[in-house]
Parts: sequence; structure tokens; C-alpha cells
Amino acid sequence: MKSIRKIDAIPKLNGSWKFLDDYSYKGMIHGQLLYSTCHHGIIKQIHFPDGYDLSEFTMVSAADIPGENIVPEPVCDQPYMADKEVFHFGQVIMGIAHPNRKLLREFISNTSIEYEELPAITDIKECLDNEKNAFGRELTIDHRTGKKPDPNWVHHHKIYYTPHQEQAYLEPQGMIAVWQPKDKIMFVRATCQCPFFVKEGVEAIMGDTIKEAVIETSEGIGGAFGGKEDFPNLLAGITSLLSYKSGKPVKIVLDRSDDIQITTKRHPARIEIETWTDPKTKKIMKIDIDYRLDAGAYQTLSPVVLARGVLHAISGYSIPDAFIRGRLFHSNTPSNGAFRGFGAPQAFAAMEAHIDNIASDLKMNPYKFRKINLFKIGDEFPTTQPILEDHLSNCLERVIDKSNYSKKLKEFKEWNKTHKDKKGIGISIGYHGGGYTGNGEKVLNSEVKVVIEKDAIVKIYVSNTDMGQGAHTTLAQMFFEAIDHPREKCRIQLPNTSKTPNSGPTVASRTIYIIGNLLRKFAFKIKDELGFENLEGYVASNQNEFPREFRMNFVQDPSVVFDDENYVGVAYKDYSWAACVTEIYYHADTYQIELTKSWSVMDIGKVVNQKIATGQAEGGVLQGLAYGLCEFFYKPGYGRMHGFTDYALPTTMDLPEIDVEFIHNDSPIAKGLGEIPMDFPAPSVRNAFHNATGIFINEYPLVPERIYSYMQRATDRHRQTQTV
Amino acid sequence: MKFYKPKSLLELFETSEKIEGKKYFLAGGTDINVQIKNGIIKDESIIFLNHLTELKGVLQSDNHIIIGALASFRGIIESKLLKNKLPFFQNSLQEFASPLIQTTATIGGNIANGSPTADVVPLLLVLNAKLKLFSKSKLREVPISEFYLGYKKFILKRNEIIGAVLIPENAETGYETFYKKIGSRKALTIAKLAIAGLKRISNNKIEDIKLAVGSLNEYPRRLYKVEEYLKNKTVDEIDFFELESQLKKEITPITDLRSDKEYRYQVCVNLIRTFLNH
Amino acid sequence: MINLKFNVNGKDVEITVDDSLRLLDILRDELGLTGTKEGCGIGECGACTVIMNGEAVNSCMILAEQVQNAKVETVENLEKNEVLSKLQDAFLDNGAIQCGFCTTGMLMSSKALLDKNPTPSEEEIKTALEGNLCRCTGYVPILNSVKDAVKKYLHK
Repeated sequence: MKSIRKIDAIPKLNGSWKFLDDYSYKGMIHGQLLYSTCHHGIIKQIHFPDGYDLSEFTMVSAADIPGENIVPEPVCDQPYMADKEVFHFGQVIMGIAHPNRKLLREFISNTSIEYEELPAITDIKECLDNEKNAFGRELTIDHRTGKKPDPNWVHHHKIYYTPHQEQAYLEPQGMIAVWQPKDKIMFVRATCQCPFFVKEGVEAIMGDTIKEAVIETSEGIGGAFGGKEDFPNLLAGITSLLSYKSGKPVKIVLDRSDDIQITTKRHPARIEIETWTDPKTKKIMKIDIDYRLDAGAYQTLSPVVLARGVLHAISGYSIPDAFIRGRLFHSNTPSNGAFRGFGAPQAFAAMEAHIDNIASDLKMNPYKFRKINLFKIGDEFPTTQPILEDHLSNCLERVIDKSNYSKKLKEFKEWNKTHKDKKGIGISIGYHGGGYTGNGEKVLNSEVKVVIEKDAIVKIYVSNTDMGQGAHTTLAQMFFEAIDHPREKCRIQLPNTSKTPNSGPTVASRTIYIIGNLLRKFAFKIKDELGFENLEGYVASNQNEFPREFRMNFVQDPSVVFDDENYVGVAYKDYSWAACVTEIYYHADTYQIELTKSWSVMDIGKVVNQKIATGQAEGGVLQGLAYGLCEFFYKPGYGRMHGFTDYALPTTMDLPEIDVEFIHNDSPIAKGLGEIPMDFPAPSVRNAFHNATGIFINEYPLVPERIYSYMQRATDRHRQTQTV
Repeated sequence: MKFYKPKSLLELFETSEKIEGKKYFLAGGTDINVQIKNGIIKDESIIFLNHLTELKGVLQSDNHIIIGALASFRGIIESKLLKNKLPFFQNSLQEFASPLIQTTATIGGNIANGSPTADVVPLLLVLNAKLKLFSKSKLREVPISEFYLGYKKFILKRNEIIGAVLIPENAETGYETFYKKIGSRKALTIAKLAIAGLKRISNNKIEDIKLAVGSLNEYPRRLYKVEEYLKNKTVDEIDFFELESQLKKEITPITDLRSDKEYRYQVCVNLIRTFLNH
Repeated sequence: MINLKFNVNGKDVEITVDDSLRLLDILRDELGLTGTKEGCGIGECGACTVIMNGEAVNSCMILAEQVQNAKVETVENLEKNEVLSKLQDAFLDNGAIQCGFCTTGMLMSSKALLDKNPTPSEEEIKTALEGNLCRCTGYVPILNSVKDAVKKYLHK
């Protein structure tokens, strides 16, 4: 639990740590993407502006692709560049490069494309409300008993909508490709989460024209949050093609407004929940969930998001009769993709709202209602995976206690009687299964490598990237703390596909959980194998054995057996658990919710580095709260936001007091941390708003315009009942 | 793009007269730079003003506070003179953009950019500010309330610039003040609507009231009809239906990417109500 | 093209650059000071913050001409002889660095504040940093760092 300093901290503080745009290569030219401004249509003609010497430009389109025009993804259906027909706004049509970045920008902004427009679905509700738009594989988790619901049970049937969310990494997407014709190697410098995915992306588009793609990340990866999981594959492909064609190194850095508009976002969701609750025992007896995601124009990795979504859809409640159905829906918008939480935030946003709806109808305290229905040891998930620990309940108890929830509930009720503005307090819970779903980690078969040098320097080789989460510091720490090796004698190789083995992508809260624990085990294994007490001493007296290389693969715990066809079995070996209480102040004049304080209690198992973990959790909680409150991305009739003023991620002034605590940190195993802080906070805002005003809003985010329209509806209803 | 940097005011007008076609005067540049980056300004001429120190600074003259058009928001927010004389005006501007933008953005630029959302204008409207307009051969003063003619349209003539803003030094004296800027978050935001108000109560009656709004019309405006209706009434005598019918004649909120017209309208009503009831 | 004379990090610089370049481009591309980052290019994120004539500014919002005779300070000026400044030290101690892309801008906004006001209140710190977005930290450790730096300055 030591808070050792991050290995990249000092270079990040003095400005010497290099991010993608800080790299330059001799003769390098700049590239930019020309993308569709039409939602669906046939490309008729591309008009380039007059007054430019076209011979100075390098241009690539679908016709130039020597390999395949399909980006490798869990579902391979998205082309790198549109061929004749475009299926969404933002679809790449060409890559264009020129030595002068500014001139190129001007050239592209004055290029116009003529389309024959075809029908398109661009609105979230238009997409998700219409069953005809469903595509791809449907997932079901069937834990039904076949019994009819008791007529006395209280039936609730609600539909919840969750919005897009923009990752808003501060460093925009970027890529540099350097074609080395002599060796037929395409070297790519990437700001990305998954160097081996990028490698596949480049090799697919380049086909036989290259021998190999070598991917190395930039030193600094300026935030990712899932946004640099799959878009970089496409970007790297096109950048490589430009480098190949021009024979020069090519750098593409996306302009922020392009980045916001055309790259992957969190999937908007429509989640329909039906429950039947026994009014006597206050237990939810039966649940039926229809979980729908707007995938965008292509499926890409959406099926994986869908899988996690349905596996977290029931939230933390033990419901004897459950049926969950998950489907992807097609729209003419850019493919949605990975974002911290990966389907789970949508699930909790809906289910945690639904729980408050039931509690309110039963006139119950939302905490007590949750307590009655929460997972208990011996219960099971709808997949039949047994619940082995009651840590979720511990998180809830702790957060209720430390936030003074019960006392505040009463206080606010009193205060609200005499004030136009209102105060409110809300609860939410969440959890996140660590690592790839089901058999995923077996398939990945991650490998790590360690080299011990003659001077006892230990060099760790993994392909997992440090995009700010401190992974490289924590991974190294897990290795050297296991064998008491001095910290300064540990190095970590910058991920490079020709140097680091494939330890899998940096996603799914798996880096510390899978790779970190593997490194820890690895350290012990090396220690046993060599039989040392002190590595430095051993190396000193056995110099001829070094340098020496060691490799180890991840072996999945045998308890993880998952039926991918029927969604039965153990989906994740370990879960991180969390509970949250958020306090708000509602401004009646302006319909604005002000966050005042938010408490989160999480069980992420062993906390390897307290400072790093706390920092990540605080950031994730704010991201989660903002998802529920103010991050509004798409407006029907007006389209997508395109800058950081319109897309309102919080500033320092919007920050509430954030309190984060980790419990059960004496656990032997470090569990997933990356995603859990984002999963659960949003519904606590919505539930606090209900507590403050008595109004339920089943759509996120709770922007004041939405609140106003709900308030109007409530007033209208009230007027109608009065006149009746 | 062609850039000019005149050495003096006189040279500025001479340069400006010689330029044919569209041209931009660059004060702080916080908006023009965005337009250059986005390719909206491409071939036009840019005339730098920011180095003209004669148009900077905040000073007292007779019974006015004079703020040079090129005074930065930073200069205004930190001015001791304004802290003494016009604290409401000064405090309200803390909400302008971000400290980083405040350093470069100027009061003249905010006015002349002509945005319906210009933060400084509703405040100047209720403070009865005047603008001093400079051209080569003429100096004239116009009330800020007469400056705008429509969306991004002003009474400025060709080769005429805003030289200074004049605010009566006692503009705030004896008034209760009110300012709200409603954005999508608390800072670094563009107003969905803004409202500034001054009122003076005597014997329970509203003796004088001044209200101005931003982002609710093609340009920020005083609500003269609402003011007229409210004058010489006690709060109890106000018929809010009547107030709203006056207000509807004076604001034309729209729905756009940032907000909805219904919301903008209702928040405006609510805020006026709150101001009157306090 | 213009001939530009200004001072960067204590050194006089004289260069000829294209009129349409921004201070950000001059620092990064002409002078190789890549510690200053471009996050949006339109003054909406603060990653490019530098100190110009004693005030924090978005260097993406300043055209070449506006830099004439100015005194500019970038993040590269904070560390002296490989010793971090007290402010940087405070960022280090408080774990305020995650991805690092906003960090240099955060440092410059904080420094501009502390140079003018060595004992800011919490509200003043928040206000000074409101133009600098951070997506990783939730701002908590950054604000703590500045508070901490205030203490460090006081006890020097």
C-alpha cells in the first residue's frame, strides 16, 4: 500500500515527457482525414478547391488499399475508408497529406463532397425505439423459473435512456507512421491503449506490401478512457498508407472538433425494466430487462460492450426470476466504442434508478429497500455464478454510515418544507468484473517478460500502456515489492510490439488485476527458481548467469468456466464493488443541480499504491457524476457538440467535495480499479434529485433544460388533476 | 491574410482607410484567433490594436469612469478604481470566460464582436454606459443601448472604432444589484442567458429599476417595457401575468445547440421574480 | 513574415516567423519547447497555458505579432539545475500527475496565481485553474498541490 512516486512524474512536471505530437521525424509531412458530412449517401464527386498544387499532396482512398479494407475488430464490419457509399457522418473517405499542416487544413476545409443522399437514422430514440434497427447477435441471460408472477406483487415497468459520453482525453488522437522500405517495416508511433491491436490494424490494411508493422507508443499517452482502444487501429492504418504512398514519415493529429465529432463514444442505451415486487417482504421477485445499445453504423467491438452490459444489468440484487435480453441497434452515426465502464454505467444508471422508483412506490427508504434485496453470500448472479462475498453490502453500510445518510434524509426533508430551492441525497451501487469476460483471458493468453541484467537491474516487458493511470509504476511496484528489490533497480520498457510480448490490451480493468498479479506471481516464481533471498546479492555472486530473460504466461483460474453460447457460468473471477451517496442542492429558479458532496466506498481488493488508486478513483467518480449531470453530447435536431465549451465536462468550479475510501484492502489480491469509479455515480445524482423534488427523471444527463421540461409536465399533470 | 500594426491611433485610421474589402480589428484576439484557426477568416486583413496603450487603462474623469476599449478583463477585474466605484460591475465580470481568456480579451472586443451572448453588455446596459467612438476626424458618444442594430450589426461606421466605455461613477450608488449568468457549467462557459438588474426601493415602491438581458435576443437588450411596468409599484402590486406579457414583447429566445427557448424564457421570468422579491 | 523579438524563459529571442503563427506554434515548432501542449487550439482547455508578461494566457490564442517584446515563461523554466520548483514538488507529493497532458498548463496557471498572490484562498485557487481542464484526476490532488505549495512558500 505504499504510495511510491510515479516513474514518469518528473518528466511530466518539467515538460520533457514526449506525447505523440512532440515527436518529429526527418522529412515528416502532415496528414488529415477527409470525412463524410453526410449521414448516408452515395459519393458522387469530390471537389478540391482551386489554387492548390495537387502534386504537393499525397492522397489515399479505399482504392489505394493493398490489403483489406476492413478494420480488425471483434466483428469485422467497418472499412478504413468509405468506398462509394458512406454510412455515417464522420466516416473517413480519404487520407490526405502535405508538408504544411496549416495549408492542409485549409485545403480540406475548402474541399466539398457531393452526395446522393439516402435515408438515415441519426437520432438516438429513433434508433433505439424501433425494433427493426436491431442487428448482430442477440444475447440472453435466462434465469427464469417459468412461474407466473403472483397477482399481489407490485408491477413496475419503466424505460431509461442514457446518453453518449465523450472520453475527453486531453491529448487528441494522433499517429505517426514511418515507412522503412529497405526492411519492409512500417514503424508506427501511437498514442493508444493496445499496441498489438494497432499492429493488426496496420498489417490488415497494408497486406503483403509490408513484412511487419512495429508499433511503439509515445512516452506520454495523454488520457484514453477507452477512446484509444479501437479508433487508433483505423487511424494507424490510414497514416501508414499515407506514409507508404508518399515514402515519407506522416503524422496525423486530430483537430479537437474532429476528434469529438468522429471518434468513438460511449454507447447511448435504452433499457427497459419490468419488475414484480412482493409488497409484504419488499423483495423483488421477478425481473425482465431489455438492454439496447446504439452501436452506430458498424458493430466493431459493440458486442463485447453488450456482453458486459447484460452481465451487469441486474445491478447488485438477488432476484430469483430473471431474464435479460441484450441487443445492438444500428444508426447512421460513427461507431460507438470503448469507454471506461464498457456497458456497465448504462446498466447501473437504469437499474439504480429503477430501484428508487420501486422504493418510492412502496414508501420505503431507498437504503432499506436496497439492503433487503442486495446480494447475499450463497445467492447467485443470473448466470448462476455464485456470490462468494458480501463486500458490496459492506460498501453500502460504510457509505451510508460515513455520509450520515439517514440523518440527512430527515434534515433535508425539514429544510425543503420552507425553501424554494431543495436539497437532496441519493444512493447508488455498482460493481465491475475484472478482466476480459468469460473465457476471454484464456484466449488472450497474456505473456510477460522480465530481463535481469548484470547490475541487477530488472527490466519488465509488457504491452500494457500507461495512459495516465499509473500502470507502469504500479506494475513495477507489484514486481519489486514481491521480492524486496530496490525500486531504482526496476525499469519498464515502453510498449513496442517488437520488444514487449503480447500481454494483451490495456482495457477491461485488467492491467493490475491480470498483468500486475501475474508479475507478482512471476517475481515469486523467479525467486523460487533461482533460490535467492536477495536478488542483488544473487546476481553479484552469479554474474555468469546474467543477463537472463524470463517469460511467463497468464493461467486462468479453473473456476472460471463460462458458456459463451448460453451465458451461463462464471463470467468474471473477481468483482470490485462500490457504493455511493451524493448530496445535491437544487436551484429552483434555474433548474440546475449543484453537486455538493459525494462519498464513494469501493472494494478493489489490495490497494497497491494508495495515492495512484485514490487519484484514479476521484477522477472516475467526477467523470461518473458528470455523466449523470451535465455531459450532454447530442441534441435532437442540432446534432453533436464539437468543443469543450459546448460539451461541458466539469471544471474546478464544478467540483463537489469528493470522498473516496477503499475497504477490504487487506485482501491478498489487487482487483480491477480502472472502470469501477465510473460505473456507479451517475444514478446517485438522479436519485438525489428525486429525493429533493419528488420528481423522477428516467433520462440522463439531468441538464436543466430536461429538468425544466419534466417540471412543466409535473405542473401540467397537477393542474389537470385539480381541474378534474 | 495581411497583417497591419499601426504605430498610433492616427496611423490606425490612415491604414484602415487604405484597406479595401473586409478587415478585422484585432484587440485581444480571443475570438478572431478561433476564426482564423477554423478558416473562417482567410484572406481578410487584420489590423492589430492591442499595442495602442492610449486605449488601455481605467481612469476617472469628472463624474465618469472611463475604461479604454483595449482594457483587458484582467485589468478591469483588478482595477482599484472600479473596486471603489463600481464593485457590482467588477465582481460580475469574474464570471467572464476563464482567467486565461480574461488576460487577453478586451472590453471593446467583447462589445464589438457583437455576440448576443457578450457578457459585459447587459451590465453596461443597466449602468447606462456610453461608448466613445473614434474615427479619423470625429469623436462621438452613443449610449450602449443604441449601439446594436441587429445580429452582429452596429452603428459603427466604416473606419470607426470603439475607443472607450464611459460609465457614470455613481451608476450603482443607491441601487440593489443583481447579475446571473446561466451556462452549462459554472466556469468557462457561454451564457445560455444572462440578466443584470439594478433597483431602488423607496417606501416599499420600486422607485427605479433597470433590467437587461443577454442571449435572449439578437443582441443584449434593456427591458424597457418591463421596467416601465414595474416602476412605482410595490412588490404586492405586481401582476406577474402582466409582467410576462411585457417581457414577451422584449425577448425572443431561441432553441439552439446550447439550450431551449422555453427554458431560457422561464429562467428569465424566474430570475426577474427573484430579484423583485428580494 | 515578421521579425520577432521577445524573451523566453529569461533568454532574448529574435526570429523571423510567419505572421499567422500562434505563440504556441512558435514555442513548440520554432523553439522546440514542447512542454506546452495543444489540446484544443481555441482556448477551451488550458493545456497550452504559458505566462506572458506576468499573466497566465492560452498560448493558442496569441498571434505572433502580439508577442512582440513580451516576456514569456514556459514550463521548461520551472526546474532549475535539475531541482524542481516548490510548486512542482507539491504536485509530485500530492500525486497530481496522471496522464500529464494538462499538467504543464496547470503548473503555469498555478504559478501565475502564486506569483501575484502568494496566499490564495481555496476559492481563488479554483478560480485561477477554472480554465484548465483535467479529465484524469477530478482536480482534487491538483488543488491540494497548490494549497500545499502555498505552505511550502510560506516556510521557505
